[in-house]
Amino acid sequence: MNAPDRYERFVVPEGTKKVSYERDTKIVNAASFTIEREDHTIGNILRMQLHRDPNVLFAGYKLPHPLQYKIVVRIHTTSQSSPTQAYTQAIDDLDKELLQLKKAFEDEKNRLEGKPYY
Amino acid sequence: MAERVSYQRLPKVRIRELKDDYVKFELRETDVSIANALRRVMLAEVPTLAIDLVEIEVNSSVLNDEFIAHRLGLIPLTSDDAMRMRFSRDCDSCDGDGQCDYCSVEFHLNVRCDSDQTLDVTSADLRSTLPNVCPVDVAHRVLASADPNSYDSSDQRGILIVKLRRGQELRLRAIARKGIGKDHAKWSPAATVTFLYEPQIHINEELMETLTLEEKRAWVESSPTRVFGIDPSTQQVVVVDPEAYTYDQEVIKKSEAMGKPGLVEIYPKEDGFIFTVESTGAIKASQLVINAIEVLRQKLDAVRLQEDDSDFGELSAHLHGGG
Ligand SMILES: [Zn+2]
Repeated sequence: MNAPDRYERFVVPEGTKKVSYERDTKIVNAASFTIEREDHTIGNILRMQLHRDPNVLFAGYKLPHPLQYKIVVRIHTTSQSSPTQAYTQAIDDLDKELLQLKKAFEDEKNRLEGKPYY
Repeated sequence: MAERVSYQRLPKVRIRELKDDYVKFELRETDVSIANALRRVMLAEVPTLAIDLVEIEVNSSVLNDEFIAHRLGLIPLTSDDAMRMRFSRDCDSCDGDGQCDYCSVEFHLNVRCDSDQTLDVTSADLRSTLPNVCPVDVAHRVLASADPNSYDSSDQRGILIVKLRRGQELRLRAIARKGIGKDHAKWSPAATVTFLYEPQIHINEELMETLTLEEKRAWVESSPTRVFGIDPSTQQVVVVDPEAYTYDQEVIKKSEAMGKPGLVEIYPKEDGFIFTVESTGAIKASQLVINAIEVLRQKLDAVRLQEDDSDFGELSAHLHGGG
């Protein structure tokens, strides 16, 4: 009766930003990114990709509450980079990886389907 | 600004088995986060079509209206166009009542029992307004009947919805919509998606040879799955099927119980995964993998920083908010 609508879990409410960025007030080159309507799927791949960047000193994510449909990604970098730069770089690299993965899978599929059926 | 270097990986794929509704493949040179993201997206975020709105005109069957509506929702529909379609809530060409080519497919069902024999109402009784969208089992039968070499299946009845006795009738209009498993499991295209870490097994041959044949047999038998075997000619313990290992540690406990710890070392490979993907038939299993990669890319693209999120935006906010 008073259950929230199911689409609440993946539709960003009007007037809310998908990604908001907040700089740490105490530490330089540290910031938190709040991503609305995302979960471990995005949080974990972003975190792991950020760990591959040597300029990233810390990268972590949390899902503050299972009924709050958002994640918070925290990044701390060296002065050689910045949280926004590392964040954007991680997304770019993941996107390239997925594009390459898609091609690899399609090539394999074509190779198998090209063979005579037995 | 430092020069932009890429930390991108180049994952490798090898498909072992490929069928319409089943694919088994190896994924290498990437990490668990990608493997798990793919699994999660396949289960809950690759779109399909499913009946979502039912208008019942007549229902004199023994099942109530919502019971039937729920059963209709669970029938898998062929969803090859789902990636191209719109979600009804995003569609600006209609008001969501179903008469829309961009977001909906209409179905009709009209069955009445006029005999003394019980009449089964099945997925085969659903009439679609679009030829390429129909219940998966119906599409399968059409394909099978066109192929003279296919074996004749005795189960040609479709998915049972309700049974009618004499005089009972079911007449309804149903709207299928695009959706994702996260919303309701009826939209999930995946029957099962699993991946396993490829186990790396090292037998300490020297220590193993200190065992008698009887002890070797007992050791091999201690594994609940057939991972190891004994070579009949050399009587050596060999790995028969590493992937049968379920990380149950039984052989390791057995080694310790026999007073020979370190007989075998088993650890999961960090960058090799074996995926098993089974589809409900809504889309092909291989297409499910491809769509999942595409959906994941779209999700990543949606979380990019916008122009006004950058330091520039912050600076201007600072200037405006200063007063
Ligand atoms: Zn529409």
